[in-house]
Amino acid sequence: MPKKNIVFVLNEYNGHGGAQRVAAVLAEEFVQDGHDVKVLSINKQKNEFSYFSKDIPVHVLHSGGYRPPMAKSIGASLKTLNFKKINAEIKRRMQLIKRRKDVIKFFDAYGNEDVYVIVVQVWGMQWLEPLIYRPNIKIIGQSHESIKAAKNSHRYKRLLKYYRQVSKFLLLTHKDAQSFEKLGFLNVDVMYNPSPFRKQIEASELYKNKTIVSTGRIVDDKGFDVLIEAFAKVANELPGWKLEIYGEGPAKKYLNSLIKILGMENRVFLKGQTGDVQSVLAKSSFFVLASKAEGLPMSLIEAQSIGLPCISTDCAPGIREIITEYKDGLMAPVGDVPFLSRHIRRLALDPNKFHSYSQHAFENSLKFDKQVIKNQWYELFEELGGNLDAK
Amino acid sequence: MQNKELTDKKSPKLSVVVIAYNNELYIEEALESLHEQTFDDFEVCVVNDFSTDRTGEMIERFIEGKPKFKVVHLDKNSGGCSTPRNTGIANTTGEYIMFLDGDDWYTIDACEKMVAGIERTNSDFVAGQVIRTNNYQIWFHKQIYSDERTDINVREFPTLLFDTLSVNKIYKRSFLDKHGLRFPEGIHYEDIFFTGKAYFLANSVSVITEPIYYWRVVENAKVKSITNRRFEFANFKNRITAHRLYDQFLREHGDIYYQREKNNKFLRHDLKLYVNDYALYDEEYKVQFHKLIHDYLHEILDEFSFLSFAEKERIMYYLLYIGDKDAFQDYVYYIKGLPTAMDRVYSAGGSYYFKATNPNQNDMKFLELEKPESRFQISHIEMTDEAFSFEADVRVESISYSEITTYFTLKNKHTGAVINSRLSGNRISFPLDRMTPGNYYLHLNVIHQGNVIKYLVKRTDLVSLPNIKIQDNKLSKDLFINHKNTFGIKVYPLGLINRVKWVFVRKWDLVMQKKEYQDVVQKITNGFAKEFLKKLSIRRNWVLFESHMGKQYSDSPKYIYEEMYKQNRNYKYIWSFAKPDSVQLPGPAIKVKRNSLKHYYYLIRSKYWVDNQGMAHLTQKKKEQVYLQTWHGTPLKRMGYDQKTQQSDEEFARLKMQTNAWNYFISPNPYSTAIFRRAFRYGGKIIESGYPRNDILINMPEEVIQKTRSHFKIDPTKKVILYAPTFRDWDPNSYQKTIKDIQFLSETVDKNTVILLRLHYLLSSKLSHHALPKNVINASSYGDISELYLISDVLITDYSSVMFDYALLKRPIVFYCYDLEEYISRRGTYFDLAEKAPGPVCKTIDDVSSYLNNPEKLVDFKPALERFSSEFGSKEDGHAAAKVIEQVFDNK
Repeated sequence: MPKKNIVFVLNEYNGHGGAQRVAAVLAEEFVQDGHDVKVLSINKQKNEFSYFSKDIPVHVLHSGGYRPPMAKSIGASLKTLNFKKINAEIKRRMQLIKRRKDVIKFFDAYGNEDVYVIVVQVWGMQWLEPLIYRPNIKIIGQSHESIKAAKNSHRYKRLLKYYRQVSKFLLLTHKDAQSFEKLGFLNVDVMYNPSPFRKQIEASELYKNKTIVSTGRIVDDKGFDVLIEAFAKVANELPGWKLEIYGEGPAKKYLNSLIKILGMENRVFLKGQTGDVQSVLAKSSFFVLASKAEGLPMSLIEAQSIGLPCISTDCAPGIREIITEYKDGLMAPVGDVPFLSRHIRRLALDPNKFHSYSQHAFENSLKFDKQVIKNQWYELFEELGGNLDAK
Repeated sequence: MQNKELTDKKSPKLSVVVIAYNNELYIEEALESLHEQTFDDFEVCVVNDFSTDRTGEMIERFIEGKPKFKVVHLDKNSGGCSTPRNTGIANTTGEYIMFLDGDDWYTIDACEKMVAGIERTNSDFVAGQVIRTNNYQIWFHKQIYSDERTDINVREFPTLLFDTLSVNKIYKRSFLDKHGLRFPEGIHYEDIFFTGKAYFLANSVSVITEPIYYWRVVENAKVKSITNRRFEFANFKNRITAHRLYDQFLREHGDIYYQREKNNKFLRHDLKLYVNDYALYDEEYKVQFHKLIHDYLHEILDEFSFLSFAEKERIMYYLLYIGDKDAFQDYVYYIKGLPTAMDRVYSAGGSYYFKATNPNQNDMKFLELEKPESRFQISHIEMTDEAFSFEADVRVESISYSEITTYFTLKNKHTGAVINSRLSGNRISFPLDRMTPGNYYLHLNVIHQGNVIKYLVKRTDLVSLPNIKIQDNKLSKDLFINHKNTFGIKVYPLGLINRVKWVFVRKWDLVMQKKEYQDVVQKITNGFAKEFLKKLSIRRNWVLFESHMGKQYSDSPKYIYEEMYKQNRNYKYIWSFAKPDSVQLPGPAIKVKRNSLKHYYYLIRSKYWVDNQGMAHLTQKKKEQVYLQTWHGTPLKRMGYDQKTQQSDEEFARLKMQTNAWNYFISPNPYSTAIFRRAFRYGGKIIESGYPRNDILINMPEEVIQKTRSHFKIDPTKKVILYAPTFRDWDPNSYQKTIKDIQFLSETVDKNTVILLRLHYLLSSKLSHHALPKNVINASSYGDISELYLISDVLITDYSSVMFDYALLKRPIVFYCYDLEEYISRRGTYFDLAEKAPGPVCKTIDDVSSYLNNPEKLVDFKPALERFSSEFGSKEDGHAAAKVIEQVFDNK
């Protein structure tokens, strides 16, 4: 395959969300295949490590630390004589014009060569918008969450605004893709996130760990409180089993007190951030996700990639693209503590079920394998073609 | 008493009946949800309907050591839910009863909430919320479960009928027993019957807003549950059977009045499910389906029930109702964009309809379409500095391709300017040189039988969208998709200053476009100004003219005006027009826009008004003002007080107001004078001078003939036929007939002949979209019809007063009155046209054509023409205008 130019566009290249992780995994794969990979980051976090390898050049647009606020109408502020707002808005617009010029310069450097631009988060599109009219630039827009989740933020409007004319608009699930098709988007397709690793561990080994695991940022939306309550409800019936939660976040204090109230100090453990998800999962038995909203959760994909059965809330269409109920995992309505607790008990107390689910989970994870996903990306690049390839 | 003792002893408060058939995957979850209830005083009876999987064994294992639970294993499969549920009722004793299906589950406190609900309300049964697991939305949430409803009767809130589930309710056992209410065995859709009956038997029902029941919906399941297998005909039959039982109950129970409410649910819910799946059914299914639904619909309603439905349902249900299988199938294909067996979409007047296989008089009430469906694809889009172009594949569903012509337009949303497409080869192209800033949107225009149907081009109509941007030194033109997914070209100025200017212009125009804003400004200024103007004095030498409400510069006012200024009289002339800019006015007159403030100013101050229709309603005429009413033709059809249909008081009042304002009235002949007096009850002065407009027909000035011929570029050697039919406002289809007739005439006249068309403006505007044959010229918008008379050799007309004027020329007239009887019965005439006509009266266009092609046949009508002309033209001597002026205007 001829060498391709690939640019990832992110809000903050050194953030620690799922989006950055996925982008870093892909970028690494592309680099190893000899492609030219760069990162265009709108902002950056101060003194934080990045998932991207040092060899990948990063261009930060607002290196001075300026964070563009939401666009506001000047007219409305004029009516209320809110000059502070007007000032901020004028500054935002001036910055946008300047930074757009930077972006154009950035892409001018490629000359006539084809560039595949993967816009990981839609926010960056406001700087890239003028580029959609350049025939050598193929913009691939992504949305890493379900429509329902996007609708709760400004992002949904941005998706509608910016992704109508891009070369490809990638969603994580077929159901989400269908929703946009119904809105008249003809450029949608589905692309799963790749798992950074895939290595099966024997079901009997996993079962022996007697550990329920969950990972994620410790925020209300992740539903860790529901998980803790559900576990506590059946803890007495599951002697020797424990619950481990990995991650950091603002809700940690609240969870700690909840654990105390439920008297679960010896059964539930908040383990903090881990740099090595794979070994954490390898020391566990099954994974429980109690989230209120998700896209195509990386944590479930990773869990399946070493053979962990999963229990998840039915919080997004993406869940059902990972878990097949009663085959490799179980599902519960969002926020239903008693129901979730019964599922936990069911899986923990039934080794036969556990073994069968574990085996199927690993088999299912093949569709998220790095190699598989990478090849799908290459197929997509071929499909979008380009001047140089065509002529 | 005995009952009470029993309850006291050991009967639990609540019995829950669980039914299970091959639910090995889920039964454990259902039972767990019961076992962990927050409520205690209940018993559970699980009825295993002879499951063939591990269900029975799992139930046994689960209930072991749980005294509240018991199981009944049926010894053969009952094939439904009724027998197991009834068995459960019989095997329990609780005061209240609830039901649970083996694949669903209760929320943790369902029993507690439901028992509390029924004890608090003392209703016969209480309903709680159901959550379906495919979308986690509450079943009929908005309609029923949004609010708590206590102690209601279904007759006061029939919306309840939409929820026909039996499992989300708690029933008093005494209520079920009192009415012997049990599930009907041997049929499916037992819930429809059971729950429906329960609603009408219950005196009191309550609704609580807590979710109590999870309904497991498994999508893409290999084995659909009994009630979900819609592809087997038996399934549909079962549903109808359940509904028929329900209907029978309503009749017998004296609730027939609520059949309508019940039907509503059947149509909107039950039938809709089957209709949505129709395309998947095989032929055998379809035959049975149509037969059964036809019969059933006739049992419960008539076709007028469908009028309250949206278009799609209205049409589908109506076609089901009349048993038109072929049309129904075609309609399903039609809305899916598949080819139909025959062309089903037709137009009558401006409206569209779907055609039943055997059309019936009532069809149009039910089969009207808002707009025919069109599917079109635009491909190979290109944009260069000069042109925007593409290829298009257009079809309108179920209308023959040969009947339509199409063109595209690009419309600037901001300015309203329109660019029309040109066809070059197979490409449709638009020149870009005249574009101005604004968003241009692309429209497909389909012309079909004189109707222009517009379709906005969306992204989904494009095969692919190239992102093209064209810039010159002034403008940027970008192909784009707007937030409503509409395709367009965004045009904006380049350069910072121009862009900023454009932003402001755009905003300002938007503000000014707002209708209410304009109106307010106008109202305020007009109100003040009018009060002020009223006080101004009359100008003795000002003359205000108007013809046909300001639409034309024509008719007698025109000839009076021209004669006046030729005579060099000392007057100031004012003409009012609806569109002053589009009129070329000779002489010294000034033009004003009709209804403008300026118009009002002249209306108030002019001593003289000259008009051929009516302007007295515009303002109160003052005593000193002189109104010369020229009128616009010798009457044939009855007018005013002579009209056949009774006019309303208001119409008479309006007529009276006008006639009171007239000071002079021009009559062309004694016949008309008598009629005008009587029909208008007009006692004022009548000048019987002949029509000023007809002076030209007597004098036949050569320069006017030359000018008119050259206007239409008609060679002097060509023969000209003038075709001037009247407008039949009662017949929306007259346009289509006219089109066909024109087509026919154009094909049958000889090569040396040109046909001039003179149509009512409503017809004419429809025609402007129609490609006319080469030998036909549309002269409808030509200002003065008299000039058309001069250049034509033959006239074809029907009931129009043009016959009286044209007869003065003594040239042949052919009457084409295909609807003579209808016209006479609707309008009434002052004399028998067929008898007096100065030419042949034809019923068919063939007939007309035979006269045109055999001029010798027309010679026979010469005496009649002479007679007619002398009767109605006795006063015409070519000096009517001068005679009128002499009488009315005193200034020399």
